[in-house]
Order: sequence, then C-alpha cells, then structure tokens
Amino acid sequence: MKFTYNWLKDFVDIKITPQLLAEKLTMAGLEVTALEGKGGDFVFEMEITSNRPDWLSVIGIAREVAAITGEKLSRYPVTPLSRSNRQTGKQANRLTIKIEDKLDCPLYTGKIIRGVKVGLSPKWLKERLELIDCRSINNVVDITNYVLFTWGEPLHAFDLDKLSGDEIIIRRAKSSEKLFTIDGIQRDLNSGILIIADSKQPVAIAGVMGGKDTEVTESTKNILLEAAVFNAVVVRTGRQKLGLSTDSSYRFERGVDFETAEGSSWKAVSLIEELAGAKCALAKSVGSPKPKAKSIVLDLYLVEKILNLKIPQGKIKKILVNLGFGVKGPSKNKMAVNIPLFREDVENPEGLIEEIARIYGYEAIRQTLPMVSPRVSACQVRDLVSLTKNILVGLDLYEVITYSLIDRDLSTGFPGGESQAVAIMNPLSKEQEVLRTGLAPSLARCVAYNLNQKQDYVNIFEVANVFSPGAKVPREELALGIALSGTKSLLLEQGLVKEEAGFLHVKGIVEKLFERLGIKDYDFNPVGAHMIEIVVKSDIAGKMIRLEEATLNKFDIKNKDVFIAEVSLDKLFAAADLQKRFAAPPKYPGIARDISFVLKEGLSLKDILVSVREKGLPLLREAKIVDYYKGKQIPLGLRSLTVACVYRSDERTLTEAEVNPVHAGVISVLTERFGAKIR
Amino acid sequence: MDIHAAKAQVEADIQNVTSAETLEGFRLKYLGRKGVIAELTGSIPGLPQEERGRFGQEVNALKNRVNALIADKLKALSQADTAASSAAGGSEIFMPGIAQDLGRLHPLTQIIDEICGIFTQMGFSVVEGPEIETEFNNFTGLNIPLDHPSRDAFDTFYLKDYSKLLLRSHTSPVQIRAMKSRKPPLAIVVPGRVYRPDAVDASHSFMFHQIEGFMVDTDIKFSDLKGVLETFAKGVFGQDIRMRFRPHFFPFTEPSAEVDISCIICKGKGCSVCGRKGWLEVLGSGMIHPNVFRHVGIEPKKFTGFAFGMGVERIAMLKYGINDIRLFAENDLRFLRQF
Repeated sequence: MKFTYNWLKDFVDIKITPQLLAEKLTMAGLEVTALEGKGGDFVFEMEITSNRPDWLSVIGIAREVAAITGEKLSRYPVTPLSRSNRQTGKQANRLTIKIEDKLDCPLYTGKIIRGVKVGLSPKWLKERLELIDCRSINNVVDITNYVLFTWGEPLHAFDLDKLSGDEIIIRRAKSSEKLFTIDGIQRDLNSGILIIADSKQPVAIAGVMGGKDTEVTESTKNILLEAAVFNAVVVRTGRQKLGLSTDSSYRFERGVDFETAEGSSWKAVSLIEELAGAKCALAKSVGSPKPKAKSIVLDLYLVEKILNLKIPQGKIKKILVNLGFGVKGPSKNKMAVNIPLFREDVENPEGLIEEIARIYGYEAIRQTLPMVSPRVSACQVRDLVSLTKNILVGLDLYEVITYSLIDRDLSTGFPGGESQAVAIMNPLSKEQEVLRTGLAPSLARCVAYNLNQKQDYVNIFEVANVFSPGAKVPREELALGIALSGTKSLLLEQGLVKEEAGFLHVKGIVEKLFERLGIKDYDFNPVGAHMIEIVVKSDIAGKMIRLEEATLNKFDIKNKDVFIAEVSLDKLFAAADLQKRFAAPPKYPGIARDISFVLKEGLSLKDILVSVREKGLPLLREAKIVDYYKGKQIPLGLRSLTVACVYRSDERTLTEAEVNPVHAGVISVLTERFGAKIR
Repeated sequence: MDIHAAKAQVEADIQNVTSAETLEGFRLKYLGRKGVIAELTGSIPGLPQEERGRFGQEVNALKNRVNALIADKLKALSQADTAASSAAGGSEIFMPGIAQDLGRLHPLTQIIDEICGIFTQMGFSVVEGPEIETEFNNFTGLNIPLDHPSRDAFDTFYLKDYSKLLLRSHTSPVQIRAMKSRKPPLAIVVPGRVYRPDAVDASHSFMFHQIEGFMVDTDIKFSDLKGVLETFAKGVFGQDIRMRFRPHFFPFTEPSAEVDISCIICKGKGCSVCGRKGWLEVLGSGMIHPNVFRHVGIEPKKFTGFAFGMGVERIAMLKYGINDIRLFAENDLRFLRQF
C-alpha cells in the first residue's frame, strides 16, 4: 500500500516531517517500509496487516494520523445515504439489480451516469496516481482508482451501452461460462466464482476484475458505476481459483463495509460529474439491510490489569474517539464503546485494549518478570537426544540437519527405499514430494556433497523424525543416522596413520553409544554382504549398510565406500538404562593372562567369549579380545586372536597355583569347543 | 683429586649448572678424556692390590652418578625453557599435538540449546510436538480462520491421502496441545522443525526451525512479556542491545507486538543488514487471544497469558553473520567446523 504526504494532508493537518511521521506510524503498528521524496511530495510504502482493510486507504491512514498526533480529521467524507435510489433527467432509465444470494453479495449499488466525456485526467489526478505507481488510463478509470486508494472502496465502471438488457445479476458462474477479462485473458469460470452478469452473459468477476467487452473506452458515452460489498470468502476463493489478485480483490477479501461502499460511490459520482462533464441519471441500491454497529463494554480495570499501566480515563476516551469509535461513559469504571462498521476487526475488550496501547505507545509499558512455577521433570526424550548427540560429537561426528521432505527417487537403492512414503499434496517441486521414511538417503547425499568438495573423510550424523504411512495418521518416529566415508588421517607419534572407514568404525560408534545408554542386550546380525541388522532386546532396532555400487553411482561417488547406520531412537530410548549403581573397586589385585590362538574365520566371537567367561567362573572377571591379525604367517581362512583374561577374588589375593587350573580350563574350551590352536 | 672430595665436588658443581653450555662444561670436567673420572681411573694401578677392587667400584658409582645428574639436568633444562631445549635437540612440542578428534553440533542445534537454556533458567519447561499436525491445531485452534487472508502468512504443505492433516507451518500448534493436556500455570518453550511451501533462495527455505514460548497464569501481564523477552534478547545478543515493541497483528494474540532489537552489526546506526533502519526484527509476540483459550478449554476470564515465536535460522544468521539460509541444510563440513 502506497500513499503520499500531500494526499494525506488533504484530510488531516500534519505538523511533523514525513520522516517523523513514518517513525510514529511504524510505532503505532502501521509499518512504513519505505519513504521516498518524489515529485515535490513524499511517497510512503506501507506493510498493512491483514486485519486492517481500513488502512488500505488514505482516509484510514489519516484517521490514524489524527489519533497519533491529536489533530482533527478534516473534510471527512459524508455518507449521503439519503441520496440512494434517485432518478434525475428526462431520459427513461431502467436498471434492475438481482442478487442471487445476499450472503455472496450483501450490497450492490449501480449508478447510471450519462454524457460522459472520456479523456485525459487533470494533471493533479494523473500525478497523484503516478506517484503511487498506478498508471493513468482515462478520467473515468482514474477516478475509480482515485476513489479506491482514497476511501478504500473498489469500484467498477461498465460501458452502459455495451451491456445487454437492463438487468444486472450477481450470481455464481456456470461451469460452461467464460469471460475475457480486461487483462486480455480468457477465463474459464465455475460455480466457485461469483460474477456480475447482464441479461446474456458474465461481464465481470465480482470484486476481482471486469470484462474486456464492457470496459470504458475513448468512445464510451454512458456508464454504469458499480459499488458493492462482496463476501470476503467468496472473493478470496474465486481469485485463488483464477490465480489472480488485484487491488480490488485484495480489499474485498479483507473486508469492505456498507458505509464505505455507499459513500465512496457518491464521491466518484461527483468527481465524474465534475471532471467528465457527465450527469448521474439513476442510482439504485439492492441488498441486505445495513448491519448494526457492535457495542463492547470496556472494563477500565482490565486495561490496567493487562497492560500493567495506568492510563487516565480521559486519555483512553480521546484515543478511542479519535480512532472513530463511539464512546459512552465512563461510568462505574466502564465504557460502552460503539464499533464503527469499518472496524470489524475489533471483536472484544482485548481488541480495544490493543488500540489504546498502540496509540498510547507500547514503550510506556514497563518491564516486569512474572512469577514462574517451574516444573522439573526426570530425564525426558529431549535430554536423551541431547545426551546421544553429545556422545556422537565426542566420537568425532558432525551433526547435520537435512530436509525431511525429499524427492521420491532419492530413496531408491536403499534397503526399504521402495516402501510407501507419505506424499505431499501441494509440493512446489519434486524435491518436496514425500516425507522421508529413513535418514540414509539424505545422509548419502550429504556425504556425496562433501566428498565432492574434496573432503577426505566425511563423518556425520543426524537426529530427526522419519515418517511412514499409518491407519489414520502417519507414524512419526525419532531416528538416528550415522554416515562414514573416506580416510581418516591420524598424526601419531610414530607418524601418519591412515584409516579407511569401514563397518567396524560404524559398529564401534554404535557400541559406544549403547554402552553409554546402558544398553547391554544387543547383537549384530549380518544379512548379506551389504547389510547388518542391529538387534536390541531381540527386536530389530536398526541397520548398518554399505552402499551398493549402483547407489554409489547414483550419487556420483567414486572410489569410496559409504557406511551408514540407522537406528530407531524410540526403540533405543525404550531399552536405555541410565540408572547408575555403585560397585566398589576391586580390593585385591588380579592376575592377568593372555591367550594367543589361531581360529577359523566366521565363528561368532561373542559366543566364544560367553563360553570362556562361563568356564572361568567365578575367578575369571574379564575376558576380552585385545588383538587380532589376519594375513602373512596365518593360513588362509584362519585368524589369529589374543584374548586377555583377568582372574580375581574379592576375598584374597589369588596365587598362581589357584589360577593355573582355571586358566587351563579356559584354554581347553577354546581348543576343544572351538578348534583353536594355541600359538 | 681424592675420590671423597670428587664426590662432594660433583654435587656442588651440578648446582651451578643453569644452561646447556654449563652442563657441557660439567660433563667435560668429570667425564672428559682428561676429566676427573679418567684421572681417578688412571690412579688405580698405583693403588695397593687389595684396595683396587673397592676403589674401582667407587669410581664406577661416581661415574653413574654424574651420568644420572646430567640426564636429570638435561630434562629439567628442556622443561624449563622449550626454546633453549630446541637447540639441545628436544623440539617435540612444536609438532602437532596428539588427541582424539571431536565433532560439532549443528549451529542450529547450538542456537536452540542456547535459547532453550535461557528460558529454562527462567523456569520454563521445554516441550516438543509432532511435525504432522491437524488443521485444527495449526489453524482453527489458534484463531486463524481457514478462509481468512491472515492464513496466507502460514502457507502450508498438506498430506496426500490424509484428510485435514498437514506439516505444521509453525510451532504454535504445540501451544494448543500443551494447553489441552496440562493445567495452568504454564511456562513452556517449544523448539522444532516447521514447513512452508516456499521456493528456496538465500533467505527462504521450505523447512526451517522455530522456537515458540508461552506462559499462562491468573495474572500474566503485557509487562511480563516485555520483561521476559528483554531477558532473553540480552542473553542471546548481549546486555548492551536495545529493544522496541511495535504493535502488529497475529490472529492468536491480542494485543500483539513485533519485537525489534537494535542492529547488532551497526549498533543502530543503519547498515545493509538492518536495511538502514537500525533495527532488526527478531520476534513476534503478544497476549494470548481469548479465543485460543476458549478452544483449549481454559477460562479466559480467569487466566491470561503471553506467547512469542521466533525463527531459529534468522537468529543464527544474525548472531553468526551468516548470509545464506541454504548453508544450514547444505551441511558442508567446512561450514560445520566453524561452530
């Protein structure tokens, strides 16, 4: 919305500079987004909030200026309702207005104006419009625009002689009907669109745009001037269906009131009579009775309570009156406030309190800190997420945040990638087609991006919701994804060590996370060469994958492997045990014994360690793999392993003699049950 | 020199060694070709047969003692002065340190944690909600009529095959959920992902993050909103910023206010970041609209409350001087390593 300083001064005395005015308007809620000196005037550009259609007019802004500066509105437009339905002149003027549904069109006024001399607009009018970037067309069209910007009522002028018959019908369009609009586009109409029709066909889309065939041209002699109130929702759905927004529809969908429509139309009539040498011959008005103004009782105690500010009653009254409200009282600390029709947005006392505070100034309201009753709760999901993220960061992973909406094709080639995804009804592009069912595709894309940026090592994770179809509502599940790719360089004392990311690195991260979350009952279950299921408490909680060749090609990843783990955090957190219990450190020293042996590959090391620990009971306290080797000196299909055992008692220091037979038993388990060869 | 005198002399001399040079002098005096040890060793043949063994052992012990003192002193000198130790051949400390690498949290997570941290210090609880929402929670319950232009500000992705379900276009639906499931007094902040069908460019994205906050009690005032938000803004942007509250319109609050902070780049003088205004818009806020209370079954005559919301990306961009919102979703490691 644009207007100029001089235009505003037609209606209110302004004694402050345009710059200061802009500042004051902004601080009263009419945000001035630009102020520019132009043609000896100043052009204000405003961002008007959708609740204030009255601010979409110079008169509306002038009213605001009057309230802010304490000046009086001058030359306020009279509403000559008494002039409705009149006929002048000798000519027989026939006009019938039919409204199909008064909910769609509560008011329609038509005025027949004869003897119009269409021509150029006077200089002042042309300049005004051009300053706010409205192209001057001819005097009649310019006047309708001038009235629109000044009083906020969109008007339309038809060439009367191009209308068929004497009838104007306001009705819904039929699906077969079409209209060639002023912008030169053929519009297909339907029953969702309200139109103005003559006795034959549609001539305008109500509140949006007129038809080309009946527009005012150089040769127009007589016009029918329309001023109406159309249903805001109908105009809105209509213009959405047509994909068309105009200065007119913009105002109608925010709301135009009866008084504005009537009054503005008469303003236009007198301007046309004055500037185009014409005469109004007939005025007709059809519609519902004028709505009654609302009244709201304002308890002044509430004003003070909500704002925590005492504003003198006289000041409150003055603010409301200046804004156009009718005020009775106060009596018994209450005011009866009459709401003018152009302030439909004010619905309750809170709305009035906002008006008072706005003009009085928000800066006058003090700052206080409320009493808060904190609710402290035990560890919640958010805390577990935070813990998880911090563990992963500590394990040298970078957190990423990727889009939850993806291209459907992104997930092909991933396990489960073919499964049904929840689709978006109105995506703007293919990249927003579906809600992702897993994090792996997005992480793979992120890995590809970084490898492409010449990163040798990509180490990332994401925690986000994933979505899958559900009976009534899709399922939303919290997931963790980890991706590793490339070579990590470690500069150690012995020099550079390069380590290529592999399944074991992902596994190590997962195990460390499980350890910290207190998850003990878990297992890794290989399913083919590219996937390993992560089983927690006998339930599949996730998987680790190595991207297949085709998938790597899809992401244009060359000479690198990508490993991704994806787990359900809902399942992990359900299995997590963060209870900590103290156990005293051992009192007596233990005896450590290592066993180095050669073993067939493919045996479950987990089973072996379980058997070893069982056999060594109760003295064997720890048994873990501390070294492994495969390659030179070890025959094909075998692997060399070292298991470190610690024997200890809680009652005494053990002797070699006590440990030896137990250790021999442990070794026998390895050799006899698992065919290990001791080295 | 007599062996006993030599023993005493060694202990005295080492005390005067303060540098690599004096240490070398010490070494030469005792261990050099014509040094004390060599002299003592040379005197052995002149001793009576029965004394030679014991004397030899004593000389050996003295030699070991000198070597040990030199080693200790060398270590002490290199620790005392690493630059000097460099000359002595111990420049290890200039090599890259050895430690486990650390990753980083995403900058948006860091901002969310920081903001939620400030509010939890003030006694607020952090609550989260689903990203798939009902039309009621996202619009109607928040006093946003479905066919009103005010809805245009909340353009929304709808789900195919699920009637009236959508991706939340703001975090405010969690207000509805929380107010329905809990009883006042309430002091809650809600971080989360939100979605709007916007074409992606330097300042727009179809997915971004918001933090919503609200408080409901029997006597919550507009002045409380001002106080809480000032505490928050100074916590995030520094104690010296100024704030202003501008009247605005949001369907779910009345009175409503937009909150500006003095530009953190130009300190309010006017620059390209603040559009030469000197102010940066950071928050939307207001007193909770009575209709919202009615929708969730809270008695508007008995309770009042305030609510506010902010875009996390915007706060992060201002705080870190990031000029393109797409960087957050691109996840370039060279970007992530900066935070």
